[in-house]
Amino acid sequence: MSATVLDIITTAALLYAVAAGLLIVFGVMKIINFAHGAFLTVGGYAALAVTHWGLNPWFSLPAAFVAGCACGMLIERVVMRPLYSRPLDAILATWGLGIILGQLITLAFGREVQFVRSPLAGTMNFLGTAYSEYRLSVVLAAAVLAGALGLALNGTRLGLNTRAVIMNENLARALGIDSARVRFGTFSLGAGLASLAGALITPLSSVDLNMGVPWLVNAFMLVLVSGVSLISLGIACLVLGGAQVLVSTYLNPILGGLTIVVLAALLLRLRPKGFSRD
Amino acid sequence: MTDTRRDSDLRLVLGLGALALASVALGPYILPTFLINSLLRAILYAAVALTVDVLWGYTGILTFGQSAFFGIGAYAVGLVFTHMGFSASHALLALVLSLVVSASTALLVGWLSFYPGASPLYASVVTLALPIVVTQILFSAGTFTGSSSGLSGFESFDISIEIWFWISGTFLVLLTGVAWLFVRSDAGRMLVAIRENEARCEYLGISVSRLKILLLMAAALVAALSGYLFASMQMVVAPEYAGFVFGTELVIWVALGGRGSLVGPVLGTLFIDVGSAYLSGNLPYVWKLLVGVAFVVVIVAFPGGLLPLPMALLRRLRGIPPPARGRGPMLELAEPRALPGLRGDSASALVLEGVCKNFGSLRVLDGISFRAGRGELLSVVGPNGAGKTTLMRCISDGAERSRGRVLINGFDTGRLPPERCVAFGIGRKFQTANTFDSLTVAQSLRIARSRLERPWLLHCSRTLALPDAALQVIRATGLDEHLDMAVRHLSHGQKQALELAMVLALEPNVLLLDEPTAGLTKAERTLIGRILRDLTEHHGLCILLVEHDLDFVREVSSRVIVLHQGQILLDATVAEVVESELVRSIYAGVGSHGESPS
Amino acid sequence: MRLKLHTLACTTVLALGWATGQNAVAADPIKIGVPVGLSGANSVVAPSVVQSAELAVEEINARGGVLGRPLELEVADDGSGAAGAKKAFDSLIYQKKVDVLISMETSAARNAGLPIVTRGKTPFIYTSFYEGRSCNKYLYVDAWVPDQQVAPIVDFFRTTYKAKTYFLIGSDYAFGRGMLQFTRGYIEKTGGKVVGEEYLPMDGSDWTAIVSKLKAAGPDALVTSTAGGAPNVTLTKQLRAAGVKLPYGNLAVDEGTAKSMGPDAEGIYISGSYFTNVDGVKNKEFLAAMQKKFGTGLKTPNDLSVPQYEAVYLYKAAVEKAGSTAADKVVPLLGQVSFEGPRGLIRMNKQRHAPLTMYLGQVQKDGGIKILESFKDVDPGDQCPSLK
Repeated sequence: MSATVLDIITTAALLYAVAAGLLIVFGVMKIINFAHGAFLTVGGYAALAVTHWGLNPWFSLPAAFVAGCACGMLIERVVMRPLYSRPLDAILATWGLGIILGQLITLAFGREVQFVRSPLAGTMNFLGTAYSEYRLSVVLAAAVLAGALGLALNGTRLGLNTRAVIMNENLARALGIDSARVRFGTFSLGAGLASLAGALITPLSSVDLNMGVPWLVNAFMLVLVSGVSLISLGIACLVLGGAQVLVSTYLNPILGGLTIVVLAALLLRLRPKGFSRD
Repeated sequence: MTDTRRDSDLRLVLGLGALALASVALGPYILPTFLINSLLRAILYAAVALTVDVLWGYTGILTFGQSAFFGIGAYAVGLVFTHMGFSASHALLALVLSLVVSASTALLVGWLSFYPGASPLYASVVTLALPIVVTQILFSAGTFTGSSSGLSGFESFDISIEIWFWISGTFLVLLTGVAWLFVRSDAGRMLVAIRENEARCEYLGISVSRLKILLLMAAALVAALSGYLFASMQMVVAPEYAGFVFGTELVIWVALGGRGSLVGPVLGTLFIDVGSAYLSGNLPYVWKLLVGVAFVVVIVAFPGGLLPLPMALLRRLRGIPPPARGRGPMLELAEPRALPGLRGDSASALVLEGVCKNFGSLRVLDGISFRAGRGELLSVVGPNGAGKTTLMRCISDGAERSRGRVLINGFDTGRLPPERCVAFGIGRKFQTANTFDSLTVAQSLRIARSRLERPWLLHCSRTLALPDAALQVIRATGLDEHLDMAVRHLSHGQKQALELAMVLALEPNVLLLDEPTAGLTKAERTLIGRILRDLTEHHGLCILLVEHDLDFVREVSSRVIVLHQGQILLDATVAEVVESELVRSIYAGVGSHGESPS
Repeated sequence: MRLKLHTLACTTVLALGWATGQNAVAADPIKIGVPVGLSGANSVVAPSVVQSAELAVEEINARGGVLGRPLELEVADDGSGAAGAKKAFDSLIYQKKVDVLISMETSAARNAGLPIVTRGKTPFIYTSFYEGRSCNKYLYVDAWVPDQQVAPIVDFFRTTYKAKTYFLIGSDYAFGRGMLQFTRGYIEKTGGKVVGEEYLPMDGSDWTAIVSKLKAAGPDALVTSTAGGAPNVTLTKQLRAAGVKLPYGNLAVDEGTAKSMGPDAEGIYISGSYFTNVDGVKNKEFLAAMQKKFGTGLKTPNDLSVPQYEAVYLYKAAVEKAGSTAADKVVPLLGQVSFEGPRGLIRMNKQRHAPLTMYLGQVQKDGGIKILESFKDVDPGDQCPSLK
């Protein structure tokens, strides 16, 4: 039983880490970034490079973040900027970018499924259950991430500007906020966060071209039900992620894989605001 | 001129269709087997791409899910023929199954995606999830569906490749022709109207959600039929035909070919799919990269796709001018009819009882109650932030109210959406001109009439019947000279007049007007004022007018309501309001022009 | 335009054919079509398959070809799936006009290709292990099926670990389900008990709930059959991270994956018809020739690429026996000829399938495979009773 509780908490933490970057891009740009999966993959391969260079595995987290941000900056400037007024086209362009990024990664790293050393290998005794140390550390990482994002949004000038753009872009622009810069900043940050999440999940998974795909649709759904609030996202991850674990454990893991998508779609149909409060 | 234009269009499409059919007929005699086989598949993919184009290119529903319906059609064949064997009656059973299952799936998906207020993003994500869910179901059904391996080796129609080529080629040509007629028909224009301005459509009494669901179901049926033909001739089904990779490929083909052009997506699909059969074997590693790069470049730089490029070049080389516009349809007076709204036996046309609206803890409207009768022109004035526009919304959309009742011609609107409220006889003109930019004046008016006159599915009517009031507005503002002009080329005043005419075309007897004179010249303002007075005096309309221009209000109104901080401050005659100290002090304290809050 | 494209492609093919014809025997070549997953799920293993086919063709051409004619390979990408396979088979049979198809493919690709093979009347040797029972007049298989692979592992667990209760984990696809279905039957037939059987979607990577269920069930041994590559790796890593130390038989891991998985793979039991260190002169010669031909570019030969190599020789034998490449003559003879290859003597004489020598191995600390036991000429069972 307590193993199930730990499964729920760690699953929610992973989902939160994966979806956070998508959420802030959605908040500012009002688009779903279909390249999110590709950014996850970038993070995975950044972690792989760190392993190849023989550096400490923990170092893969900052490396992935930087690599993701760099990709995000480039893409925002070249592709996203002309598409601000065409949100559905922006979605498609991010989709195409995902294809391109994936193929470029293949050309650079080969098509093989690759592996990254886990920084924490064993299990530890947690409240009477032997549980994977790494999964527990992911909870810590997600908490730190949530805290840092909350601080950045509430405590820094760019964060305040970002919140202003999220609430009402026209008004923010009228108040002299450079919304193009905010968009640039958030898209890069979103890419960086996705990449960071990619590095975070690699010790539990393999590094390959499609590593982002299974996470993608779930992350989309979680963001759509959360509105633009990081707190709602936390609740959504816990509730829907929890439902996924419960369905997988007590019914069938295949149904479990569909739980988030199906529940989120029904939730949005019956309560279009999802988990956001007003 | 109009007639010749339209006839030449028809001749063109008939000519092209005949040419296409001739190529289909001759194909098997000329082309090598390999090309025939490749084309056979590509033709059916193109049929599905056509549905993506109608949904996305015309209606603005970006869908990744058409592959799922193709898969459903194909699996109906695979499952029936594998488990029950092939026979004519089983083939019929498979056909019925594929159509019924795909249509009901589309109904479910449409219900999930297209509720009032749903974002187009959400619909796209649902269509992305659909093929994933369908694939998962196919995988987990084990030997019944053949799981990942699919089903193969079942018996099917004993028809030669050539005949299959004729069948599917004719299918595609006819389908393209029907789609071509449909998107150019009066009903087809509604797709563009929905893409451009969903809210306006709803306030014209068009149930956008229902139309989208119907359209999705029709698209699903075509995709399923293509899947049915595909599985019957290829004798194979596999989960990837229902998968989301195929779904996204369809979008890529449509984008590259040229969305919103029908022919572009068909040619795009044929060229890319057949081309990849030749090329991807030689360059498997870079093929995807090339397609990805081409896709992004097209989306960013050539959103119209690649087909318009050679077409424009061809036109320039042959010196043909771009298609000129004719004069549009003949205007005529609509038969007078008993309006649904007038069937109510209420004495008042509009009744509000304790209407409240909260945004979170903020109360924007607080217990608004009043009555307005026929022939009355009631103006609502008040400073910015008084809640005027919010009041208009709460009257015309039942879901907007937090509390209170609204009766239109005696009908309680409850929590009904705008398109249902329109049926009770209400029409709303928005604050800023709210029209369909890429449609013509005549097309816009036709869409406004579609609630009362069912539009033609496959052709354009040559006459346009409008009620007297709408005709008056059109003629008075000279719009009748520009019936075939795209709305985006109209002046601001003309757009305001067009929107008013569109609302009047609904034959409402309660009219909500939100600053109809904003940004108009003095002359235009006078004209509108005259029209409004005429509408109340001669047509018995009840008009609720939100206005900042107190002079205009004084000229036209029969009664004035002063709104302040969400409450009715004064409900009196024009003279009383003009003389009121209270009103003057409120207006002195706040600026009198600018945007109302949303 | 379409016609032009076609002509262009034809010219290219002609030019290529002419260029390769220069250094071979001056006669009309016999064309071998190899539809294979250069992209998609099989893209990792496909290059090794192409390499071993290239070696076989080179060796045969160096000794004068077949019936005095050189062999020529036509490789086409099937995208590891049905839609790509349709294109690849069409292109090979109708455009390149190959005489035979020899290939390692996914089951979906094979199924999609079979109707085209039937229509084109082309012999087809399938060289990938698979879930079994694929039957077609033109189809032969020289790799293993569940009936041959499962028994060694389960028998070993029963005798060595006295395992009575088993937990089965798989990916939800035809091979995963097919293997575990057979495994369950075999375990129950030999007196054991299956205490859990769980599947995750083929692209799933989160095994959390299944691992927790496994731990709660507490079986004596674990047998898995996931999709190759990513799912196999994620499952193994998550099992290790959760501290699972049961006897662990993996029906889907290959030597290369095991090697790159590092310490996580240590101790896993695997079974197959080929490992690089199987005994025998033929294997040593084969490995040396591969090393010589491909040098540093060599993809490690494996249980999928070696059958490909042998299948080319089996086809050669059948054509020589028939004295022609005519399909109606070659097809029946494919079931009669034999070839002594790296895996031993191969003969596809049991209902279009081949009895094979199977090996039980265990992954060592360095990623190498230690062969624990071998089982001679394991019968493939009744795969296609209606065909001979």
